[in-house]
Amino acid sequence: MSRDARTPPALALLLLRTMLPASQAEAFIGDLLETFAANCATPGDARRARWRFWRETLVALVTVRPRRLGVTTQLATGDSVMRTFFGDLLHGARLLRRAPAFTALAVLTLGLGIGATTAIYSVAAPTLLHAVPYPQPDQLVTVWERDAEGGKSNLGWLTFVDFARSTRTLERTAATGSWEVTLSGDGNPERVQGSRVSWTYFRVLGVHPALGRDFLASEDEPGNNSVVMLSHGLWQRRYAGDSSIVGRAIQIDGAPYTVAGVLPASFEDVISTQSRIWRVLGYGPSLSYACRSCRHLRVIGRVKPNTTLAQANAELDGISATLEKEYPSEYPQSGTFVVPLQQQVTGAVRPVVFALLGAVALVLLIACANVANLQLARAMRRSDEFAVRAALGASRARLAGQLLAEGLLLALLGGVAGIVVAWLAVPALATRLPDDFPRLASVTLDLGALGATATVTLVVGVLIGLVPVWHAGRGNLGAALRSGSRQAGPSRLVARAGLVVTEVALALMLLAGAGLLSRSLLRLLSVDPGIDATSVLTMQIQATGRAYATDAAVFANHDRVRDAVRALPGVEAVGTVNQLPLGGNTDMYGVRALDKPLANPELAPSADRYVVSPDFMRTLRIPILHGRGITEADVRDSAAKVVVVSAALAQKIWGTADVIGKQVQVGENSTPWRTVVGVAGNVRHHGLDQDRTLQLYVPERQWLFADDAVALVVRTHGDPSLLAPAVRRAVQSVDPAQPIVRLESMQGVIADSTAQRRLALLLFGAFALIAATLAAAGIYGVLSGMVAERTREIGVRSALGATPRDILRLVLSRGATLAAIGLVVGLLGALALGRFLQALLFAVSPADPLTLGIVVALLGFIALVACIIPARRAVCVDPMTALRAD
Amino acid sequence: MLGELEQVVMLAVLRVGDEAYGVPIRSEIEREGGRELTLATVYKTLGRLEDKGLVTSYEGDPTPQRGGRRKRFYDVTPAGKRALKQSVGALRRMAAGLDLGWET
Repeated sequence: MSRDARTPPALALLLLRTMLPASQAEAFIGDLLETFAANCATPGDARRARWRFWRETLVALVTVRPRRLGVTTQLATGDSVMRTFFGDLLHGARLLRRAPAFTALAVLTLGLGIGATTAIYSVAAPTLLHAVPYPQPDQLVTVWERDAEGGKSNLGWLTFVDFARSTRTLERTAATGSWEVTLSGDGNPERVQGSRVSWTYFRVLGVHPALGRDFLASEDEPGNNSVVMLSHGLWQRRYAGDSSIVGRAIQIDGAPYTVAGVLPASFEDVISTQSRIWRVLGYGPSLSYACRSCRHLRVIGRVKPNTTLAQANAELDGISATLEKEYPSEYPQSGTFVVPLQQQVTGAVRPVVFALLGAVALVLLIACANVANLQLARAMRRSDEFAVRAALGASRARLAGQLLAEGLLLALLGGVAGIVVAWLAVPALATRLPDDFPRLASVTLDLGALGATATVTLVVGVLIGLVPVWHAGRGNLGAALRSGSRQAGPSRLVARAGLVVTEVALALMLLAGAGLLSRSLLRLLSVDPGIDATSVLTMQIQATGRAYATDAAVFANHDRVRDAVRALPGVEAVGTVNQLPLGGNTDMYGVRALDKPLANPELAPSADRYVVSPDFMRTLRIPILHGRGITEADVRDSAAKVVVVSAALAQKIWGTADVIGKQVQVGENSTPWRTVVGVAGNVRHHGLDQDRTLQLYVPERQWLFADDAVALVVRTHGDPSLLAPAVRRAVQSVDPAQPIVRLESMQGVIADSTAQRRLALLLFGAFALIAATLAAAGIYGVLSGMVAERTREIGVRSALGATPRDILRLVLSRGATLAAIGLVVGLLGALALGRFLQALLFAVSPADPLTLGIVVALLGFIALVACIIPARRAVCVDPMTALRAD
Repeated sequence: MLGELEQVVMLAVLRVGDEAYGVPIRSEIEREGGRELTLATVYKTLGRLEDKGLVTSYEGDPTPQRGGRRKRFYDVTPAGKRALKQSVGALRRMAAGLDLGWET
């Protein structure tokens, strides 16, 4: 038996200490502990002893406390305000217990509203408010060059060095590029995402290693840069938190690297969220990939205090102009962008997060309206009670106090339910967020959000308590007492009707949002990606270690892997490619045509680089529109240099699809000329919603270097996931040390590329569903209240000859009026709010008439259904019973 | 007239004697009275009896076994003994002479 079970339950003890009167607590708890110890004497009984401890605690909480408080309640009249209020709370609790349906409904409604709000806020807070978890985050900026189309571009190393040397507005600058490695030694080989960073990187961010030292300037040189920094997580997981790792060498891609230090557990790299290991950049002017046009480095900087963004931008623009004059063939145009890091990090998800915050605020509003509505209906039924109490001498303030206490109690219960909802929802949400969501690691139940929610809850409590007070205050108590009628004054009905109209309107706005998002997603998924993704399995494989030091060894490995997989039963075709379409990679090279010389080579269009095996295009069924595809003959060493271009690239360069035989140069102007042998269909590489489809296909052995990490694509007969284990075994039969990552169906890859939209739709849909349900409940409540109040009138009407149809019209017209006003207001609201969704929509206008028409009809139908039961009840009123009732 | 639970608890306090606090009172009721009460019920009854002046209580010294918490010892007051005598006596007299199949 664990030691844990022998200790008495701490929570129970805490409850007892706080809830029991001090006079009794000590002796009672002492007795309990003594009993517990005795019960624990035999080891097997510890669990039972704990259970009994809890039973004792619960019995004590319900029996001992009320007796003490009972005295307080009796003393309430003429006693202190707090004591009175406490008595009111107890009385309220009793009343709520006696109306379980009302209580459950109100608590559930509030719980959903509060919980959903807290959960969404918990996700939004780290993203929007604390996007940059470093000291003085406002000073941190990202620096970009202006590309040929006026967009933002990464920097080449030489440009970065010139910027860093010349700037007076930036205190420090750093550059970073992506780095993906395989760790070996110390356990199984493992693929890890990392970054290459200039030695100043962590100094710019203001982060110090928790263990060891930061990178040194002397290490940021070619040949001297086998130095890495580990994330706290990687250090704990792979190296068991061993602090002697600092200064030691670890095996990365088969070579030794010295560990300089370990970053603090709290450190998150918001620039490259997946990075777990950082290597010092170590570029020098002589390296081929350090050139000015080798634009692959992201640059960050810290603006000096008292310097504005505009000043920094102006200065860098000036430096850029000087460089452009000096090296006209290296820059398409001069100009820079200095963007706050905060904005850079959150920019992509800002629309989603704001839309969701708005949506959840609507849900909270609806929940409050609904509970106010319920409370109002209940107050109507209890008007007799208030009248009697007022007649017996209860002051209005006293009645108000009691209602307030009830409202607060409801809000409190709702708040607790909300915390439970949020507690369940936050982890569920976090797992559904895309991996590159900013600050994903920090998404936890937000204490600030809980505080805000608690405040909202209190306000709601006061409001829902005061709504009936306001009405009780206006009614003529004497008249209510005398007549004994349950008829409510017109103001009360107006208030309830107003609440229902609000609910319908808010629900419509949410439904419209959900409708627009789902239509966008449907449109998006019907976009032809340019490949056939059905029955295709994908994974990333890598030739790693010293055995693959030469390109020939890497190619041979890829050949053997493809052969092994092709031999499996159920495999139709196999290919490899350096980057998967829609896989989230950006690997682009400039393309220059021999017959279209450019004054400035930097103005050449850049195309996605697909370095492919002969079967790749056949495997993904990328169509060949003209000429031929890449064949076995092209991968022989002696083969002529060829290239296949996408139709869009051909159109962009030559303005025609008739381009077979043209000569192009890809990348540096020192690379060989290639002959265009085919034109392929366009592929949506950057996302289904991105129509940039300039691509080129180069045979595997004809590229400048061997890509050691490639994506393996396998077309299967039937469900690709069934074949995954066999494919994995086949790959590892070639080299067991070969890491396999990102194993997924091609359809899964495409689905992942739309993850953000899916999440937005899922949440909007859920919120809209809640909202529509609450609105329907509201309409139902108002109408059935109306029927109950007007039973006598309905009875008289039917006694005087009104047909059931007349009665039906009476009730339905009331419900229809409420719904119609709500729908109109909601429609206007949806049109007004639609533009906030614009960024999330694809090929759908925010005022899309079809979507809005459908949601109006849907909500109208729901409202009608909510009217039917009260209407039936009205029709079934027996005139004689109704007239005799009072 | 005393309630049945009050009688049982007072009898238990008397039976335990000098060392009458929560735990032994409860086990006495369990052993001799054959019924299992929660400590809370015992305390609630004792509290009621104390309010009526039928039992008194005083705090003992802290003991290490109970996390340093003091025990509260209970004793039946003379008034309590009178009330108990009256109550139990009444029961006895009522039962006397009836053949219920058990000895009195």
